[in-house]
Amino acid sequence: MAIPNQALKQIPDSYKYGWHDSEQPLPVFKKGLDADVVAEISRIKDEPQWMTDLRLKAYRHFESRPLPTWGGDLGGIDFQDIYYYVTGTGKSFQNWDDVPDYIRRTYDRLGIPEAEKKYLAGVGGQYDSEVVYHNIRTELEKQGVIFVGTDQGLKEHPEIFREYFGTVIPANDNKLAALNTAVWSGGSFIYVPKGVHVELPLQAYFRINTENMGQFERTLIIADEGSSLHYVEGCTAPTYSTASLHSAVVEIIVKKGARVRYTTIQNWSHNVYNLVTKRAVAYEDAVMEWVDGNLGSHLTMKYPSIYLMGERAHGEVLSIAFAGDEQHQDAGGKVIHAAPNTTSLITSKSISKGTGRTSYRGLVKVYPGCARSKSTVRCDALILSDEARSDTYPYMEIDEEDVTIGHEATVSKVGSEQLFYLMSRGLSEAEASAMIVNGFIEPIVKELPMEYAVEMNRLIQLQMEGAVG
Amino acid sequence: MAIQTDAGAAPAASALDADAIRGISERLGEPDWLRQLRADWWARVEATPPPTGAEEEWRRTSLTELPRDARLVADAPHVRCALDDDLAAQGVVFSDLRTAAASHPELVRRWLGQRQASSTHAHFWAVAHAAWTGGTFLYVPDGVVVDRPLVASTHLPDGEIAFFPLTLIVAGEESSVTLLEQVASADSQRSWYGGVVDLVTQRGAKVRHANLQQLGDAAWNIGAQRVEVGQDADVTTLNAEVGSRVTKVGLDVRMTGAGGTSRLLGLLAAGGKQHIDIDTLQDLIGSHTTSDLLYLSALYDEARAAFYGVTRVEKQAKGTSSYQECRNLLLSPHAGAEPIPVLEIETNDILRCGHGATAGAIDPVQRFYAQSRGLTEDEAERMIVRGFFEQVLAQIHTELIRERVLTALAPRIGESEGVAA
Repeated sequence: MAIPNQALKQIPDSYKYGWHDSEQPLPVFKKGLDADVVAEISRIKDEPQWMTDLRLKAYRHFESRPLPTWGGDLGGIDFQDIYYYVTGTGKSFQNWDDVPDYIRRTYDRLGIPEAEKKYLAGVGGQYDSEVVYHNIRTELEKQGVIFVGTDQGLKEHPEIFREYFGTVIPANDNKLAALNTAVWSGGSFIYVPKGVHVELPLQAYFRINTENMGQFERTLIIADEGSSLHYVEGCTAPTYSTASLHSAVVEIIVKKGARVRYTTIQNWSHNVYNLVTKRAVAYEDAVMEWVDGNLGSHLTMKYPSIYLMGERAHGEVLSIAFAGDEQHQDAGGKVIHAAPNTTSLITSKSISKGTGRTSYRGLVKVYPGCARSKSTVRCDALILSDEARSDTYPYMEIDEEDVTIGHEATVSKVGSEQLFYLMSRGLSEAEASAMIVNGFIEPIVKELPMEYAVEMNRLIQLQMEGAVG
Repeated sequence: MAIQTDAGAAPAASALDADAIRGISERLGEPDWLRQLRADWWARVEATPPPTGAEEEWRRTSLTELPRDARLVADAPHVRCALDDDLAAQGVVFSDLRTAAASHPELVRRWLGQRQASSTHAHFWAVAHAAWTGGTFLYVPDGVVVDRPLVASTHLPDGEIAFFPLTLIVAGEESSVTLLEQVASADSQRSWYGGVVDLVTQRGAKVRHANLQQLGDAAWNIGAQRVEVGQDADVTTLNAEVGSRVTKVGLDVRMTGAGGTSRLLGLLAAGGKQHIDIDTLQDLIGSHTTSDLLYLSALYDEARAAFYGVTRVEKQAKGTSSYQECRNLLLSPHAGAEPIPVLEIETNDILRCGHGATAGAIDPVQRFYAQSRGLTEDEAERMIVRGFFEQVLAQIHTELIRERVLTALAPRIGESEGVAA
């Protein structure tokens, strides 16, 4: 494949978000997938029989389903050329001092600010497939909040785990969710008890660090009645020369009156296929918000969904996509109104430059009887070069009369007057373009935690270097 | 209205086949070139299978109940066209396509069947080109301005019939013309109406084309329309869909010439169990082209409207301007709408590009206001629907077309008399 090499060339020397530590020897598994590999993963993890059975059932489903023919070009994925399970360091760490130097170095390269390090007690970092660091703040423990790796969640909280796992995204939902269910490893398991408000965003970093290593993390979040939580998932990846697959599944249950915000900034290296299924169910008076930033990867196909199951539930999807040369961001959001008086808002901002392509793909569905539902979808696309492409595919299925559903989209370029004005004030063309782009995505960036907003602006600047012309 | 029925028709020839196509030529005593043209198009029908339902444009309309075994109408009906002598003297040709093929063979031969529809409608486009037995031919020579609206109307005969009228419109350079086509049929006749429109405009031509569909409540209307907008040409099309059990129309607009403009208007008023599905392509190929689309649906009872519209701005098309808007007014708890406006933009050199889609009930505030002024609930609804449609009606500048459209809409949305504008 020619793509990764070209992708490598366009990354400026100062690019600090792609790195590659020398790998520790991790010779656990062979490449490729069959039922034996699936069973072996389950055996190594010492899982209960129901999980082994579920993995095998999901594997059969994965085998029988064709690859999607819509969206991006998935032809570059060779499912038999991927490792489906790798252990990173073999054990989890109780506190920050125990984390090996080379992993801490990678966190440093991410530019995590000092202030945030203080709160690393609230961070679960994922190194390869296993959770290597999880330090639950005592405060959270006191509140009864569970925040552990998903494997640990299965072991330590089997009842609650089994009650919810796979209920939002069943094993047979789609081919890639089936694959994840068959081979999942790592991710976060979070339970917030009734009425508990987690004030600090819970954060987890993910990274891939083994060539051809697929990551199949699985996250399950349950926010019990009247609770609230903000979860932040950021991921960066080293750059490799062959295609890599990231296929996560995130399931969220937002119970009556609870509130969950899930923020992702995805900056996979430009050889990664990022095919993720994310879905939440929101019950009566609940609020679910997805903030989804897609900057990296070769191809991303990700449409965070919200099922509004109870009256007055509210769902929001804020999506930013940035596609540079050879990148395709096929992202968007789905909201399914399945109860009366439910409301939703999808806002998408996408930017394509070079030969990049951004596609907004979304769905708003209103079932019969969901009276007084309201939904607004707003998509804005900025195209920065003649070779770039932008698409908008907003699906709407409205089966209820008493609703207010609207969709609007615009496509534009950076205006020459805007550029001229900024350059007349002494900015270079690249700086001026970066400023305009930052202004364009501002409505979403302002929703990010401060560190992420800063990082996002830096990334845009980095992306804009050499973008003009 | 005089209805010419297919009195001496052959016994029900089941499905369409090569024999049936040859039979049309035999019956109509067609010249060799036309026989050959039909045979060539039949070969394309056989090479182009019907949609499977997997195509994005066909996902929302199933063809399983399409009356494929309906009897092909060989002799009827002629389209009623009237052309004043002074226009004929200027070289305008406006007649039933069969008549035109006999009276102006060179002209018809030059333009008929020379273009292909978009791939998703290629099958039905080819069917109509092979199996047409009626239709409208309109030719306006270079520089001729037709200063009064032309009207072509068709009333289908009763029975389970299949009828594939072909409308061919050629507008020469700097010409101007307005055409209203009206089709109607009786209720409870399970017919297959497969009308296609092939509209070609040359440099600077100005064409307004309105289609008013009032088929009976059991009819299947599977249509394809192809519009080619030449350099600096200006085209307005209107599809007013009132009748039929199922309507599926594909509108394929190719903005090929630099500086061309198109306005694509639609009015859908559906009730009962009607299913109306429109797909459109605004293909901006030439530089500095402009294409604006506005489709409005008022949906009663259990009616369903689907709209799948693509705006495509091709790489070489610089400085284009386009907009696409689809609004659905849901007037019953059981009505449904699926508006899907798609953008595919391959260049950044655009002046304006966007789309909007909405679906919803009448704003209760509007309803309350109207009723507070003394209108009954029904009157208020009628007035509001009429006001909703005004966004399109206001763009119909030909009084005759406006009146006929309003008359056709009246049984569904109510009379507009007595309601202040």
